[in-house]
Amino acid sequence: MHHIANASLTDKVMSSGDSNPAATPTPCVDIQGDGRWMSLHNHFVSNSKDKEPDVLFVGDSLVQLLHQFEVWRELFSPLHALNFGVGGDETQHVLWRLSNGELAHISPKVVVLWVGTHNHGHTAEQICGGIMAIVQLIKDKLPKAYTLVLGVLPRGKMPNPLRERNAQVNKLVKEAVSSLPHASLLNVDPGFVHSDGSISHQDLYDFLHLTPQGYQAVCQPLHAHLKGLLEKQAEN
Amino acid sequence: MSGDEMNPAAVAQAVEDIQGDDRWMAQHTRFVQECKDAEPEVLFIGDSMVQLMQQYEIWRELFSPLHALNFGIGGDTTCNVLWRLQNGELDNIGPKVTVVWVGTNNHEHSAEQVAGGILAIAQLLTSRLPKTKVVVLGLLARGEWPNPLREKNVAVNSFLRSWLPRLGQTQFLDVGAGFVHSDGTISTRDMFDFLHLTAAGYRAIAKPLIDLLRQILEETPEEKRASLL
Repeated sequence: MHHIANASLTDKVMSSGDSNPAATPTPCVDIQGDGRWMSLHNHFVSNSKDKEPDVLFVGDSLVQLLHQFEVWRELFSPLHALNFGVGGDETQHVLWRLSNGELAHISPKVVVLWVGTHNHGHTAEQICGGIMAIVQLIKDKLPKAYTLVLGVLPRGKMPNPLRERNAQVNKLVKEAVSSLPHASLLNVDPGFVHSDGSISHQDLYDFLHLTPQGYQAVCQPLHAHLKGLLEKQAEN
Repeated sequence: MSGDEMNPAAVAQAVEDIQGDDRWMAQHTRFVQECKDAEPEVLFIGDSMVQLMQQYEIWRELFSPLHALNFGIGGDTTCNVLWRLQNGELDNIGPKVTVVWVGTNNHEHSAEQVAGGILAIAQLLTSRLPKTKVVVLGLLARGEWPNPLREKNVAVNSFLRSWLPRLGQTQFLDVGAGFVHSDGTISTRDMFDFLHLTAAGYRAIAKPLIDLLRQILEETPEEKRASLL
């Protein structure tokens, strides 16, 4: 067996597409019968044809719902941001969308990637591999863009295995991007978990999705960080 | 309409914690606790269509002032709502109006079964809360283009329109007018994912709903007694 000397951590967590389902581009199958996932994807592709966003948000329901609240208009519209979030998306779904047209007509300076919490049945390593596959794809398609990966938030009212999985995903991704000049991980959890281990429904209304108050706490520092990145990109 | 045991959509069923963070039960537990502390005049029960409403400004503007409680849980079917109502979410409260909005997630059931499940919920409410008026909201269209789920939801509404008036204290309210355009499409301006409502979408449905709620709430007991003389 051929061993690669000095295999980096990046190589270890970036599984190849075939062996990691979280890193294999996969469209969502229309089980329910109303074709909504594909409709949204098509909308994003055609929407992007006449837009010139500086920032692209892409990911799951946490990205999608952000677009519905005042905080988007307040903080991110002024940055000329587009929102390609789809509820329920796992890393392999985002990978498919970005491989099939959603990056074809735009050149954002920064891509904000927030995905992973819905990858049920995948290990933290697999989810990290999926996220890193997306980071690599963005680099291939948008060589000048910076990718800001947002840490997956804790979930559930009390401590549970998914919190541990998400924390491990963040740890692995942070290590994997540490050697990359074009990507980084930002922890956007302002401290949602209280000292007794509980999460409040006032921050995460169903212990997964953010309330407008929860979004404010997440987005203020994110916005500041984004502005810094955009300024740096402008200098280059 | 008969034989609840034969209608799977009318069988109470809790959501199993498959994902591993027990969120459904945690939400139910919180609602049961709220019943101990609150005295709502209006109770909203249902799925994500109910739940998400509370996250928009419109809830604070129009529904909080009516002393409304929101017991919506995303993904819920009629079975899940039935279970919650039978397991504490009606304890110690006496709302004047209960708004029911559920059924679009009942993917395993036929339109007739879904309508039967909603009817079972209305029957449970009127028997547990004899003074409440039940308002059942019609299921909205979904999907960007015409599709089988739209037809199914229309069929559910059709059953409800004819069955609900036979139940005392219960009425059906269709809030879906205007969402499907002449070309058959639904706009993301109204439903951001062709299922869930935007702030603008909620504003549109709130108008007929708030009018009806105010009308019901303004019927004071004194007026009712006078009308019986």
